[in-house]
Amino acid sequence: MSAQEIIDYYAPLFMPKTVAVVGASTKSTGLPNIFIRRIREFGFEGAIYPIHPSAAEIDGLPAYRTLADTPQPIDYAYIAVSAAQIPAMLAAAAGRVRFAQVISSGFGEVDAGKDLQQQLAAAARAGGMRLLGPNCLGIYTPRGKVTFTEIGPREVGTVGVVSQSGGLGTDIVRRGMSRGLKFSGLVTVGNCADLGANDMLEFYLADPQTKVIGLYIETAQDGRRLFEILRAAQARKPVVMLKGGRTRQGLAAAVSHTGSLAGDDRAWVALSRQTGCILIDTLDEFVDALLVFQTLAPRAQRPTRRVVLFGNGGGASVLATDYYARLGLDVTPFSQTIVDALAALQLPPGTSITNPVDCPVGTLRQEDGRVAETILDVIYASAEPEALVMHLNLAAFVGRTKPEVLDNLVQAALRVQAHYPGKAHFVLVLRSDDEPELMARRRDFRAKAVALGVPVYDELSNAGHALAVLQTHERFVLTRSGA
Amino acid sequence: MNPNDLISAARKQGRTALDEFTGKQLLASFGIRVPASAVINSAEEAAAAFTKLTPPLALKIMSPDILHKSDAGGVKVNLKTAAEAADAVRRMMNVPALSDARIDGFLLEEMAPAGQEVVVGAVRDLQFGPLVMVGLGGIFVEVLADVAFRICPITPLDAREMLAELKGAAVLNGARGRKPASQDAIVDVLLKIGGEGGLLMRHADDFKEADINPLIVSESGAVAVDARFVLS
Repeated sequence: MSAQEIIDYYAPLFMPKTVAVVGASTKSTGLPNIFIRRIREFGFEGAIYPIHPSAAEIDGLPAYRTLADTPQPIDYAYIAVSAAQIPAMLAAAAGRVRFAQVISSGFGEVDAGKDLQQQLAAAARAGGMRLLGPNCLGIYTPRGKVTFTEIGPREVGTVGVVSQSGGLGTDIVRRGMSRGLKFSGLVTVGNCADLGANDMLEFYLADPQTKVIGLYIETAQDGRRLFEILRAAQARKPVVMLKGGRTRQGLAAAVSHTGSLAGDDRAWVALSRQTGCILIDTLDEFVDALLVFQTLAPRAQRPTRRVVLFGNGGGASVLATDYYARLGLDVTPFSQTIVDALAALQLPPGTSITNPVDCPVGTLRQEDGRVAETILDVIYASAEPEALVMHLNLAAFVGRTKPEVLDNLVQAALRVQAHYPGKAHFVLVLRSDDEPELMARRRDFRAKAVALGVPVYDELSNAGHALAVLQTHERFVLTRSGA
Repeated sequence: MNPNDLISAARKQGRTALDEFTGKQLLASFGIRVPASAVINSAEEAAAAFTKLTPPLALKIMSPDILHKSDAGGVKVNLKTAAEAADAVRRMMNVPALSDARIDGFLLEEMAPAGQEVVVGAVRDLQFGPLVMVGLGGIFVEVLADVAFRICPITPLDAREMLAELKGAAVLNGARGRKPASQDAIVDVLLKIGGEGGLLMRHADDFKEADINPLIVSESGAVAVDARFVLS
């Protein structure tokens, strides 16, 4: 299929006009009822068809006996009833449903359900519908105003995700939201009886709304096709992969050296090296990496290496310098010219004006925080880092400055970085503890910054890891650009 | 014989792996250099074959029962005369560990010029199909597991990145006063094994595992000195 054909093919899934819900009851307690409430609250504007064997009405909506009885054909059917009845249900709805998502478990994930899963896939195929699941949670698609999660960003974003785990999919939406991610979609694919991660990957690669793709994969349904899709894509969109089950799990008994050296993980590492997809180990690093690609435009011609650190850190700056070096980032001290330019600002004693630029609160509260603008201006004008990380330890300001000093610091940072577009990736780190007032302020700063394309991280180490991921992507694109 | 005939002949004989001579024929059919050699069955044949080859020669036993030939006393190197070659065959026939084994014959072959030992391998991955591997010989592979894998087919850039990924990569540039090994020659072998149209892509379903161990790499080229192909 061409890119346009792929986009058109999946349009009823990502922007359904009609949604059927199988399993909602008149008592309004189960997951299907919750799904109806959630998509109404999320602003779904199309028709919702509850399917029920006897009820006339569910949650105030007219109910229909079967999937074949609805006024219009169904773009998306959400099905959460006992497993055994679903294959026949799909068979009876032949030609009436475009995408059926089966939430129910009791299929291929247990030995007793393997046959049933085959029947399910066969019924979907025979009925001309595509199947998502079974054993998943649903789809979150802000462009179609459909969601399986209780909360999630309403705005359509650029991060497209597919998850083999429903629970982790919820985590990605919720945690991602709290870090400023905005999604072009998130699909949970469960057992992948029909559609799987490869299909969604193809969609996101074709979808102009999607800028970065995140995959949570446990088993590659068809590793060869995954390799071929990623290889053909040549990292033209960054692909971030959270891979579960990377520990060694027995290739067939190994006789030769090569066999005994080839743990399962080797193939995934090879996949990443050859195709530029980025392997990630934890949920937090996954969200951090998606955020860096949502906010910053990769610059393959000048891969991220030299980093300037600026903020009130002390030991935190020293630790970060070490950690960044281990990640292949370079926090090199400034040349004399730059040091002289910063010295000319005559900052108070205790300020370190080499790189890292370490300023105690006493320095940062100068001019009620507007001093940051002057310092950043000098750095931008005279140094040539690929990335500039400004970090503020919010707690250190409490009781020592007026509250607006922090606002001024953040505003100054956002203003200056906007004056130098394309010069250096700008990243903000807002360090804090769980004190509620600081958390609230950080949330507010984060929203403002991310909206302006500045990623915000909770710690210097998170920012460093995300920049290292960006570097990996930029380098891959650079090495392949001449090939 | 063409590669398909070599493989189907081995299957017909009920073998689980190609013998060394057949394995090297297979490599040669993909353009990989192997030492000139002859298969012989007796001391007399060894003496006769000697005259057609350039000494010094190595003698190796060919047996499906023996996985580690040199440990079992089944390898003799540096044979400089026909008489030495004939004598080596007689002695090998009398080594107790070897006399009980099924013997397909003996491989008498020219010795590769000195160089860096490299291992090139392959394994069939259940999810991704054929993978190709490279590592430096000796402790680099056996103790440190310093190897790089890629999914086939690989590109020339992939092959170069595999070499760069090895922790011992500097050894190829001639560390500690040794002569450098030709990276171009290793890349060429990797592509003939794992590249588009290479051995593994053409025979993806035939082999479970394979090793060229060692591939001896000099400044000017690479020679596959031993080869094992395990049939799937």
